[in-house]
Amino acid sequence: MMSSNSLVQRLMKWCPWLLRDEPKKPVKVLVTGAAGQIGYAIVAMIARGLMLGADQPVVLHMLDLPVAADALNGIRMELIDAALPLLRGVVATSDQAEAFKGVNVAVLIGGWPRKDGMERKDLIGKNVAIYKSQASALQQHAAPNCKVLVVANPANTNALVLKQFAPAIPAKNITCLTRLDHNRALGQLAEKLNVHVADVKNAIIWGNHSSTQFPDTSHATALTDRGERPVRELVADEKWLREEFVSTVQQRGAAVIKARKQSSSLSAASAACDHMRDWILGTPKGTWVSMGVYSDGSYGVPEGIFYSFPVTCEKGEWSIVQGLQIDDFARSKMDASVTELKEEKRIANGFVI
Amino acid sequence: MAKEPVRVLVTGAAGQIGYALVPMIARGVMLGADQPVILHMLDIPPAAEALNGVKMELLDAAFPLLKGIVATTDVVEACTGVSVAVMVGGFPRKDGMERKDVMSKNVSIYKSQASALEAHAAPSCKVLVVANPANTNALILKEFAPSIPEKNITCLTRLDHNRALGQIAEKLNVQVTDVRNAIIWGNHSSTQYPDVNHATVKTPSGEKPVRELVADDEWLNTEFISTVQQRGAAIIKARKQSSALSAASSACDHIRDWVLGTPEGTYVSMGVYSDGSYGVPAGLIYSFPVTCSGGEWTIVQGLPIDEFSRKKMDATAQELSEEKTLAYSCLN
Repeated sequence: MMSSNSLVQRLMKWCPWLLRDEPKKPVKVLVTGAAGQIGYAIVAMIARGLMLGADQPVVLHMLDLPVAADALNGIRMELIDAALPLLRGVVATSDQAEAFKGVNVAVLIGGWPRKDGMERKDLIGKNVAIYKSQASALQQHAAPNCKVLVVANPANTNALVLKQFAPAIPAKNITCLTRLDHNRALGQLAEKLNVHVADVKNAIIWGNHSSTQFPDTSHATALTDRGERPVRELVADEKWLREEFVSTVQQRGAAVIKARKQSSSLSAASAACDHMRDWILGTPKGTWVSMGVYSDGSYGVPEGIFYSFPVTCEKGEWSIVQGLQIDDFARSKMDASVTELKEEKRIANGFVI
Repeated sequence: MAKEPVRVLVTGAAGQIGYALVPMIARGVMLGADQPVILHMLDIPPAAEALNGVKMELLDAAFPLLKGIVATTDVVEACTGVSVAVMVGGFPRKDGMERKDVMSKNVSIYKSQASALEAHAAPSCKVLVVANPANTNALILKEFAPSIPEKNITCLTRLDHNRALGQIAEKLNVQVTDVRNAIIWGNHSSTQYPDVNHATVKTPSGEKPVRELVADDEWLNTEFISTVQQRGAAIIKARKQSSALSAASSACDHIRDWVLGTPEGTYVSMGVYSDGSYGVPAGLIYSFPVTCSGGEWTIVQGLPIDEFSRKKMDATAQELSEEKTLAYSCLN
């Protein structure tokens, strides 16, 4: 009879991988618009485990237009040159089907950019065509339960078009990015209170990722030497919270463009990683984050639009935080964003034959 | 108990490599997921607004590990108290510029930065020079900061090292994590010598030499070498911009392995002050195979060097000696 020790030795010799800790299976992550500025920032972060965790191997799928094929290949080359331990493969393509094939996570950054003199209506129109086509590819080729994050603007309405034309995809699996605004709000509060940003939480971004977004501090708290206190109490300046703070967060994108002569890439990419990471790995206890999700009618927000809500995440699912008090000021701001989103939806529908 | 924050300086922070590097540092890729950092970012006055934009974005990203940001055009403020300095800033080569002109501009920059670092950085500050000509910039820095231990001044060849691993992995169709111990000898330039004589690949039947598995000496001695040497140019051709993502990532690898140690049995490539090992003249910053432990690098000794390698290693040493002479002539 073989001793268990000699059996182990024989296993080690014949099939050593059986006795090693099996690493996780790779997750396929798609980034569209990957040859652009945000794409360049985000692929580096994804390949370093900053989206899905330091122990989660990834296969990157990168999609961009044929005109960007050389640039996209250059990024593929750089990813190989970086010898990244978590990166198990790179697909760089201008073919939608190939890009979407088997993906578990999709970050949709590609879209028609706003150009000087362009009306909002035109921007919506151009993007309807793109997101209608991406919806088909998503439905046909992505892995079941693929989680989608729409970044390209108008993000909420692009997400809505995507949802409408990919009816087989559960609505809860399609989201849009307001985590950048959420993180900006936390950053502004941390600066105001002179605390570290990790000690501020539970700001909320309500509504559209546009100038009608409502950064709400009614339920935000900060950790001080006296424990966790409401931000409203610590700032003790209702006017600042309702006016300057709100407009600073709303217009932060423009402020970054003014300084950099380019729009935010680093912070947008980082926020997209945060959004996806918290969605999949869960939010810390007692902390909520902001995500643009398909409205279920909570807080008097009509169903049928993508609206940013406070959510917690657990076991790969988001849930809207319920039962928060909404005062008159918040109500009017939240309603204004609803109005804008309904108008965007009406315009988008006008482009759909 | 949370660790005390480490101050990390990035010069040329408003540029492309800086923009890719600072979020990696702020996310713990350089010093570990439990190491808080304070970022010092330096650039020249014309880039002050852009630098402030980067600062705004770093605030907007709400990084848990980022305990502070100093964004400045003042080299003294930038260098004060820093334990890690990544020198990405330098004068870039422009169309029509002679080698001597690029050298001259950079020599002045690195002479002045040397004084500031010596006077204001933390005593055991670890320095990584990225800006080209990296080896010679690092040498100038060392010469003009005599109180900084020479072992604390290095230059980046980890990018070339990683590129070499990547090319082998592609050739053999294996994961890049299963390839190790390629070596980059010499100058971070087209005379660098990517050497696979001691490189191995992890296979189900154990670790095998790369030469044996590739079984194509012709390819290893020609195409492989020139691909790695010219990869930077290939990236520029494709992207119309030089490597930023991979350079930033490799800079993080270089510092991380230096500070936290290399894995058992693995060596990496670093441009370090030559002590005469392997017949390389002392007094040059030359890329060698090193292991790291306890925050110190040590050249891997005793590797057999064949005739082919000897010639390559000597050629790149020759180029570095010439650069040194040129650099000194710019100072007089």
